[in-house]
Amino acid sequence: MKKTLILSALVSLSFAAAQKTVTLPWSGAITGPTSDAGASYAAGVEDYCKYANAQKMLPGVTLNCVTRDDQYNNANTQRNFEDFVGNLNAPVFLGYATGGALQLKSVIQETKIPTLTASYHIGIIDAPDNTYTFLPVSSYSENIVALLEYIAKKERGAKVALIVNPSPFGRDPVVDARKAADRLGLKITDVQEVGGNNLDNTALLKRLESQGAKYIINQNTAGPVANILKDAKRLGLLGKMQFMGAHYTGGEDLTKLAGDAAKDFIWATSYYLYDEGNQPGIQLVKKIGAQYKRGGDTIRSVHYTSGMLAAAIAIEAMKRAGNNPDAAGVYKGLISMNGSKSFNPGFAVGPVTFSAKDHIGAESLRLLQADATGNFKPITGAQRSALFQLVHPMK
Amino acid sequence: MPASRFTQTGNYRTRYAQDQTIFATYAEQLSLIVLIGLLLLLPLILPKTMLRDVNMIMIYAVAVIGLNITTGYTGLINIGQAAFMGVGAYATALAATRLNLPFFLAIPIGGIAGALVGTFVGLPSLRLKYLYLAVATLAFQIIFEWGVGHTPLLAQGGAISLPPVQVFGVKATFFNHNFVWYYLILPVLVVMGLLWRNVLRTKHGRSLIAVRDNDRAAAAMGINPGTAKIMAFMIGSFYAGIAGGLFAYFQKAVVIEDYGLHISIQLLAMAIVGGLGSLPGSFLGPLFIVTLDRLVGNGSQWLGAQNLFPAGVDVATALRPLSFGLAIVLFLMFEPRGLANWWRLSRLYFKKWPYKF
Repeated sequence: MKKTLILSALVSLSFAAAQKTVTLPWSGAITGPTSDAGASYAAGVEDYCKYANAQKMLPGVTLNCVTRDDQYNNANTQRNFEDFVGNLNAPVFLGYATGGALQLKSVIQETKIPTLTASYHIGIIDAPDNTYTFLPVSSYSENIVALLEYIAKKERGAKVALIVNPSPFGRDPVVDARKAADRLGLKITDVQEVGGNNLDNTALLKRLESQGAKYIINQNTAGPVANILKDAKRLGLLGKMQFMGAHYTGGEDLTKLAGDAAKDFIWATSYYLYDEGNQPGIQLVKKIGAQYKRGGDTIRSVHYTSGMLAAAIAIEAMKRAGNNPDAAGVYKGLISMNGSKSFNPGFAVGPVTFSAKDHIGAESLRLLQADATGNFKPITGAQRSALFQLVHPMK
Repeated sequence: MPASRFTQTGNYRTRYAQDQTIFATYAEQLSLIVLIGLLLLLPLILPKTMLRDVNMIMIYAVAVIGLNITTGYTGLINIGQAAFMGVGAYATALAATRLNLPFFLAIPIGGIAGALVGTFVGLPSLRLKYLYLAVATLAFQIIFEWGVGHTPLLAQGGAISLPPVQVFGVKATFFNHNFVWYYLILPVLVVMGLLWRNVLRTKHGRSLIAVRDNDRAAAAMGINPGTAKIMAFMIGSFYAGIAGGLFAYFQKAVVIEDYGLHISIQLLAMAIVGGLGSLPGSFLGPLFIVTLDRLVGNGSQWLGAQNLFPAGVDVATALRPLSFGLAIVLFLMFEPRGLANWWRLSRLYFKKWPYKF
């Protein structure tokens, strides 16, 4: 008996010694601006990471799942990055905001730490300093160009207005949108900047109406878009204007805030939604959410799924790196995801593919439209924007 | 003069020249030298992430000295100090990336750019006072953010990366970044502090205080209040420009979000909490606010993880601005002279301790 005990203790000890601990870190806005999306995103990263440990996805490796609040403050993001990479030896970094990601580009290049962000700003993977930065899904720019293509198919020569956030996050797709509109024969009548303090949009909407803009494309977060939709409903413009938006404008967040004013809103996103329970990825989202006792609002949020996708990509890259996942191994793991080795965890509408030149993961997207109950239903299949590569050729 | 140049229990000054000395006693001089000596050793004992916070405190301290010059010493309310910092940061970034200037030239260019823009923005102070001037500086803050966000040269408010610096053959890398920059920021802060302390001893410095206390009385004494006000804006925004240049290099890239209105409010809070019109307050305010921010940030994350509140009620998000606002209100109500007054009282206590009279 004594011998068995000693033997089992030794085996446990040697097993423990063989287990490596690797940090999977995320830094983003759990509190502060955009925390409505950030808190759910963080929960997705954390839960998938815990699930990976429970499922022993990485043989011989225990993940140290760290999600840290940076309050949407770039200095805090840098502080967290320094701690994760300098002190915790994290081989990968999961980031959040556009500003923070842009500011970190040169540091990421220097440290060679593969990085995935919750911002899908195309500038993050544009040259220079773009070797180690990756977007999990298609960019905001591609979302918007796909929406323009949809408009052009419906009505050639239509007048379109853009409403964007007054930040690098909001402004960046404007250049690509203008180029695409020119090629598609659409007319961009106006580009207006609207932040999160847009309590009354009457003047803005009347201005767009007077210009004859029929399609309004938003590159913003759900809050400002919801206010615009409610004001459009009050002014009787909902039938006259078709409101649309890129990834962070739509989903549950929008219908919760805008109520029935969100009806008919067209949304471009690469993710499957909570209501698509027949999708294996969404089944997994529900299973993990229930396992870690997340509230209904969190599990239903598309940002919870987004967080899981980012964590899943990082963990898959670690798996491909072998027993000793360091930054170089994770990078190799990431750029191996193509062809027959592409990665498809089922959270997005297409597989995740990366290579040394391709830094966009799930490149497919769908357009969805909100119905009377506030649920978004797909109006296109999974597709890529045909024009995007032409207006924004990747180097 | 006091009986001893080493200790002093009262005011023994009999001439203006004595009144204008920077240090009343050798003990004060010695304590500053000891403090700087200790500060030079600080990076050897502090963890890397804490060193980053200390660097941030020092950069903010440079900007808060500038804000104190306009608001604290001259009485001109300024809600656009972060924009002046931003002007310095973008000017530094352009000097470093377009003109390929080394950091020791690029940062002063940031200061000069800040001073030039500050002088221009200060022009309304010739006609405006109090709340009206505050709104004018607020307008500048908004114009700055809009202007940068629409200027292709400034990457439309996106990021302009700065090259890594090299000092005495040591190149700043990811692993020694905070360490290298500590030793670059500290001397700048000390020099900027001493510089302002010396300006205060001159007629120009005293004229600012006279204008703050009563500009009509100052004019009656032969001071030109307009010149004094413009000078205050020029010097204050020079300090902000230098702080912006340091911040740009320290953050490795300039992004408009780092110079928004919320940062201006934060700098104003630092000046109020530290003590308006006080040099020690310019150091104590940033120290207090950055430390409070760090503590509350950790606290709010912990609270958020406890699931104490119903879904949809994000108490953790509210905690940070609440504590921040509460600190300002409490200081305004109970200690309007800020932490600098506590510093003054502590020094007074030790002047008489033990058993001096």
